[in-house]
Amino acid sequence: MHTSVIISPELLDDLGLHKVLEACRCRSPQGNTLKNALQLFTNESREALREELGAIDRLLPLVRASDPEINEAQTYLSRLRELRGTLARLEKASLLNDTEFFELKSALSIFDRLGKMKNLLEAAGVDFEDTKPAAALLDPAGTGNPAFHIYSDYSAELSEIRAMKNELEREIRQATGPQRKTLLTQRALIISREDQEEERIRRQLGDKLAEWLPQLRSNVDTCALLDFRLAKAILAFKWNGCLPDLVMPQQPAILHNAIHPLIAEILDKQGLSFTPISIELQQGATVLSGANMGGKSVALKTVFLALLMTQLGYFPFCKSLQTPLFDFFAFESSREGDLHRGLSSFGLEAVQIRNHYRKSQTQRGLILMDEPCRGTNPSEARAIVQALCNTYGISDSTFLIATHYHVKPAPGIRFYQVRGINPDALSKLPEYLSSDSKTAGLEEGLADGLSKTSVNINHEDLARVKRIQKLMDYQLEEIDGVHQTPSGAIKIAELLGVDEALLREMRAARQEE
Amino acid sequence: MDAFAAGSSIDLLQLTGLEDLKSLAIIGLSKNAGKTTCLNHIAAAWQESGQTRPLALTSIGRDGESEDVLSGYEKPRIYVPKGTLIASAEEALQNSDALLEILELSGIRTALGEVIVCRALSDGYVELAGPSVTDEISNVESLMRQHEPQCLFINDGALSRRSQAGSGMSEAAILCVSGETSTDPEILAEVTNFALNLLQTPTLPEATANILAQAINTHPKKRTIMLNGKLPNLSVSTLDTPLLVGYGKDIANALLPNTRFLYMRGAMTDQVLQELLSEANFANLTLVVEDGTRLFIEPGIVKKLRDRKVDLAVRNQLDVRLVCLNPTRADGQCLDAQPYLAEMQKKLQIPVVDLGPKNV
Repeated sequence: MHTSVIISPELLDDLGLHKVLEACRCRSPQGNTLKNALQLFTNESREALREELGAIDRLLPLVRASDPEINEAQTYLSRLRELRGTLARLEKASLLNDTEFFELKSALSIFDRLGKMKNLLEAAGVDFEDTKPAAALLDPAGTGNPAFHIYSDYSAELSEIRAMKNELEREIRQATGPQRKTLLTQRALIISREDQEEERIRRQLGDKLAEWLPQLRSNVDTCALLDFRLAKAILAFKWNGCLPDLVMPQQPAILHNAIHPLIAEILDKQGLSFTPISIELQQGATVLSGANMGGKSVALKTVFLALLMTQLGYFPFCKSLQTPLFDFFAFESSREGDLHRGLSSFGLEAVQIRNHYRKSQTQRGLILMDEPCRGTNPSEARAIVQALCNTYGISDSTFLIATHYHVKPAPGIRFYQVRGINPDALSKLPEYLSSDSKTAGLEEGLADGLSKTSVNINHEDLARVKRIQKLMDYQLEEIDGVHQTPSGAIKIAELLGVDEALLREMRAARQEE
Repeated sequence: MDAFAAGSSIDLLQLTGLEDLKSLAIIGLSKNAGKTTCLNHIAAAWQESGQTRPLALTSIGRDGESEDVLSGYEKPRIYVPKGTLIASAEEALQNSDALLEILELSGIRTALGEVIVCRALSDGYVELAGPSVTDEISNVESLMRQHEPQCLFINDGALSRRSQAGSGMSEAAILCVSGETSTDPEILAEVTNFALNLLQTPTLPEATANILAQAINTHPKKRTIMLNGKLPNLSVSTLDTPLLVGYGKDIANALLPNTRFLYMRGAMTDQVLQELLSEANFANLTLVVEDGTRLFIEPGIVKKLRDRKVDLAVRNQLDVRLVCLNPTRADGQCLDAQPYLAEMQKKLQIPVVDLGPKNV
């Protein structure tokens, strides 16, 4: 991953970027190389990004209309082979073999066919150089036959040798015994002359083709770009991407109805739907708080994915999006995975906090933190979170933090919360059916042992969690930040059937606090 | 069945019914079994008889090289008529001297480079080194049929019959045997007969075969599939193991008391069967494999299977049309073919021929 994108491999995996990019299917090896290079466009390459996004925007109507040229172009692109090795050998004046000439002939034919698709090329903002004379070198008789061998048309001598050989082979077919052996020996001699002449032609052909190297390379690059842009347009169509509006650095990033396509697909399979996220991120700090299970982490991932994909030259999956161009992207979330790497979770966070801060001194970044300091002493954790918000609040970077700690308003800090569960809807939720599940568990337990008992209760709990999810309003709303948002953790514990005695203790402890 | 010495090449075509076939596999009982010689006879007969359909040749692994890469002895080379299609690896094609027109790059990689589909624009020698994986053979066949839909596709197995030439891909097969297997005519005839019986193992009854085919479609990755109970209510259970060898105990454990058919994907070797035979519940069922080329088993094991009431069956029966005897050993020693032919004639139910060397 790019050095301008700071994210742990675990979180990157969790973010789903690679899976999303897998869905962007290039057909040619060249297109895939371009895609896998993950070029991050920044302010310096603003115009190039505009051009990239503009091409997707122009291609989209063709994709929507299922223009036959798209399918045709992709078929040709899928036939294009990796040509770097062959072109490098051509440049070094190495003797090419027939397979390499065949590869070049096929590529030239693909350039020619794609070059005729004017509408598509115009939409994609690419153009092919004329390489017909190079193609003619590999089809001396101009038959248009895609096959290749060293043609007799290349030299009178080769033609003459082959005529002799042909005659001998005719005689060999009729001959038997010693006569056949003699003829085969004569044939071997002719073949060595044929080989010599073929080699001379191969060298000559290589020299002539080498003169076309700049055009060949340019057309290969054009194929890569066409392939990649087409794949991005198809992806944008599949997941409703939008043309982002690129604004100046001081302006806010505004996402309207952003979705995370992978999470949306999972929810869809469960009969649930993804609540689109809308948020305005001003330069400075934005604090996102709200109920447990309220989808703060999902919101953060959705925002990060949309803004990162925009700067990777893709259409973000939003209804609309405007954004300045960031110099770097950072996403930090302390997770169990870090512990497996043998690192203290706070130790790692502290390192990242230091790195992001230093980077933000000279560059304009988009920095997202998902519940930092969750494993730290709460009073110190609150101080750290407040300090981060205060500091980034007056910085040039855009800082978005999801936290349960209360952050006091300060210059440059804005507040959002997840709407959470509507109290009316909550009151309608039937009581936890503890007696039912116990009975069921006991019966199963008697019959089949303990393992099935726990499975049974888990199913009940999962169903309950799903019901709470259904009641949850995942939309984000801007708030003043003065009033602390309750996390609703005790309420959720109650909804999930935690025993009354324990709940009483929880409420009492909360009161004291 | 009558045996005859090398008649005209055209007799060879009639004897094997090649003119009506779409595909043929040449299987060798050992190394230097004479597969290349047999292929050369077919190619010559094809040309002499003025067939309009072209031949399309490939091999599993390497074949047709002038020297045996293992023993270093000189080997016959494959001489093809103009118009023949060839699918062979890049490096092997460089050792060919027929004028070859490249038609297609298959994308199938081998140790000798990518498999390339060519057409011979002249008569000449070719070296075959096709895909090393059976599944890729069918890809090669369809590529060749894109250029010549009517071709006779011949798959020349490389190292002995282990090169799974069948796999339901070839309509018919020719089995090549040589003095390499045994210099005793009686033993050679015995071994050949045993091999033929395995190669021609009968197929499952249609109703069962359909249920198994459906189960394989549903569980394409499972190595072992069991059909339990009685027709028409056979139930399916499966087991996935990385290999067959070394998992005999697991497979036996997965057998249900009413398992009637046990299908295993892969090579059925003595070792796999020994492991299964050491489990008492491996009995009273039919063992099913893809085709007869997957059965690499010794007569002793077949007897043990019989004792356990374990029958053998295949999904695709191989139709072996002809046995070709090669009386020449790899070291150049030439045996007298007559006693071998006579002995085989007594034992085998299909024609046996000594095609003689093809002077190429």
